[in-house]
Formats: sequence, C-alpha cells, structure tokens
Amino acid sequence: MKPDMPSPNAPVDGEVSDLELVKRCQAGDTRAFDALVTKYRNRIYSMAYHIIQNETEAWDISQEAFIKAWRAMGSFKSDASFYTWLYRITHNVCYDWMRKKKFESEGEFDDSEREHRVAAGAEAVPRGAPRPDQAMKNAELKVQIDWAISQLSPDHRQIILLKEMDGLSYQEIADVMKCSLGTVMSRLFYARKKLQELLKETYENAA
Amino acid sequence: MKTPPDESQIVRWLDGEMTASERSAFEAMLTQDPELRAEIDSLSRLGETLRKNLPVERELPHADFFNSQIQVRISQEEMQSAREESRASLRQSWFSGFRLPWVLAAASAVVALVAVTFRPTEDERASFVISSYAPNPSVQARTFHSDEANATVLMLEGLTALPPDRKIVGHQVFRSETDQEVATTTLFSETGDVLLVLAKGAENRPQVIPRSPRS
Repeated sequence: MKPDMPSPNAPVDGEVSDLELVKRCQAGDTRAFDALVTKYRNRIYSMAYHIIQNETEAWDISQEAFIKAWRAMGSFKSDASFYTWLYRITHNVCYDWMRKKKFESEGEFDDSEREHRVAAGAEAVPRGAPRPDQAMKNAELKVQIDWAISQLSPDHRQIILLKEMDGLSYQEIADVMKCSLGTVMSRLFYARKKLQELLKETYENAA
Repeated sequence: MKTPPDESQIVRWLDGEMTASERSAFEAMLTQDPELRAEIDSLSRLGETLRKNLPVERELPHADFFNSQIQVRISQEEMQSAREESRASLRQSWFSGFRLPWVLAAASAVVALVAVTFRPTEDERASFVISSYAPNPSVQARTFHSDEANATVLMLEGLTALPPDRKIVGHQVFRSETDQEVATTTLFSETGDVLLVLAKGAENRPQVIPRSPRS
C-alpha cells in the first residue's frame, strides 16, 4: 500500500467496518448497502472512468457494478476483502461493456468516442511553453500523465491504476484481474515501459 | 557474460517486493551495469511521479442521485422477485393439487376461480413509486396513487414557503420539432416572468436552468 494512504477497508474512528456493513447487507439491510456505496462510489467510478475513458458510461457502469454486488452479496466470504471483491465485479462489468462495444462496432474500439481524452489539452500546452510557477507545472504534469495513461491498453491502464493509484498488492491485483502473479508482474513491467517512453522527457524535466 | 535481469526482478525491485538476499544480489548486479542502473533509476522516478500526481479518487457526478437510483433498483428487483415467488408458489400449489384424484372431480369449477385469481389486476399494471429520497432531511416525501387522476402523486412536506415573486401561475412546454421526446418546461410567475426552465441534459438527466428576468 502507499505509505500515506490508509487501507480502504480500515474503519476510521466511529465508522462501521466493511465486514459489519456486509453482514447487515446479507441480512437484507439496504441502508447498510447505501453506506458501502457512499464509501466506495468515487473509487469505483475512478476505476471505471480510467478503463472506459468516458464519464457517462463510467457512471452507468459504476451503478451496474454496485447492483451486481448487491445481488451477489450472499456469496461474499468474510475472509476476503470487500474492496477487492467489489473491484473484481467492476472489472468484470467494464470488460463486459468493452466486449459488447467491440461487438457493436464490429471490430475495434472507436477512439474518437472517448469523451475525456486529454491529448488535446496536452497539445494546448506545448512542452516548450514557459512555466510561470510550480502549480502550473504540476497541473501540466497531471495532464500529461492522464494523457499517457489513456494511451495504454485497458489491461495496462488498469494494472497501473490498481498498483500506483490504489496501492493494491500483486495478489490483490491478480484476484481483481483474474490472472496469475506472473502476468501481473509482466503487465506492470510493460505498462511502466510504455509510460516511461511517453513521459520520460516530462518527468525527468519536472524533477 | 552478464545475465540480464528478467521483467519480474525489475518489477519486484521497484515495488520493494524482493527478499533481503534477492535485493542484495540485484543491487550487486546494478553496480556492475551502469546502463541497467540508469534504467532502473528512471523507472523508479516514473513510479514516484505517478504516485505523487495520480488522483486517488475522481468525484462521482450527481452522487446523491447515484445512491438513490441504486436503492430504487434494488427495491424494484426485490418487489419483482417477491411477485415471481408468490406466483410460482401459487402455481406450485395449483399443480400439486391436481395430483389428488378427488380434486380432479372439482376441476372445472376451480379453473374459473383460479383464472380470476391469476389475472393481473389494474393496480399491478399501474406504475408506482417504490422508494423516494429527499436530500434535505427536513423534507418528507410521500407518494400515493390517485385513482381519480390515474396518476402517482408526490407530496413534499417541510418545504419553505415560496415567496410571492416565485409563485408559479403558469407553465408552457416547448417540444423539439424533430424529436418530440426532447422538451423544455418553462414556469411563469404572476407577472409573466420566467421562474424556472426544466430540461434534460446531454446525458438525458434532469437539468434546471436558473431563472432569468423576462427580456
């Protein structure tokens, strides 16, 4: 985990643990489920958005993921992490959506449909442009990173986000993406190499 | 001849996943290979940059609406499933009843009765609100079906009274010429000023356009 980021499952003072909420959900308490939705909706939406690259679709997919989680709540085992279990469901919903989209478009994804590709923003801020202060510099770096991540394949995009943004362990990533530890490491390697290629000039200059 | 490290070694070193002995062996390799050292340092800086600049969360738009929609869908699914179970249970008892020989004798009389029981009522076909949600806790929302109006009525209690200049006395619906589903509703005050314009946004979600003085 990131050292400065608490585990998403760890309850803060006065907060009910995920496990307690899950138990209440399993007994049919929809208010407990509402509390879980509130706790994880931003993270699930972020994940869906980064995979799908479309705000509207990510909103709908997040909702679908929570509905599927509610339906499958009875099968959740208390020795697992609710967070990674929910991530796995979201991963499946995203990939089902992409398969459907691919089928509908008879082949490849239509990149022009991505709503929030930031390549245009990146072009609007050329690398040689003057940077008046650090805030501007950081904002530009974030735009470049967002753009570079959008250039990765969905698998590579997701693995980078699960590792670098959410701080999941290799095993948790393997559980979410339903792949082996070897595949996790290999995907992480190639995703980082691709980002290095796209961002090297930017982050080396920003340091 | 030097053996280059494999992908997993590089990744595990970057993520601090190596054991102490693996780590010292790998670092010994790095001292022997400046090119590999430079590559590893660059990937390490990339990781730091990503962790520092990636947002952990993205704000979900219309978050309250998101939650309430989920609650509505759950309620709808549970109602549907309860109905199906109830019907299945009725059918089950109906067919199991036929296994008894004495029931067969009375079958013709029972058929008419059960046909009436199974026919969906008008109420079942009518739409109704399963749950409602008011973001303001001081406002109570309740709904009921009015047979007279053949409509679902939404009652909001606890709302602040509207000031006289906001009193709605008329409304007008403007429909798109090309698509009748696309429409905006304009609400007018006593003086004929526009109080509010209700429309649907690009994502087909409700949108309220703030009032503007009549030009």
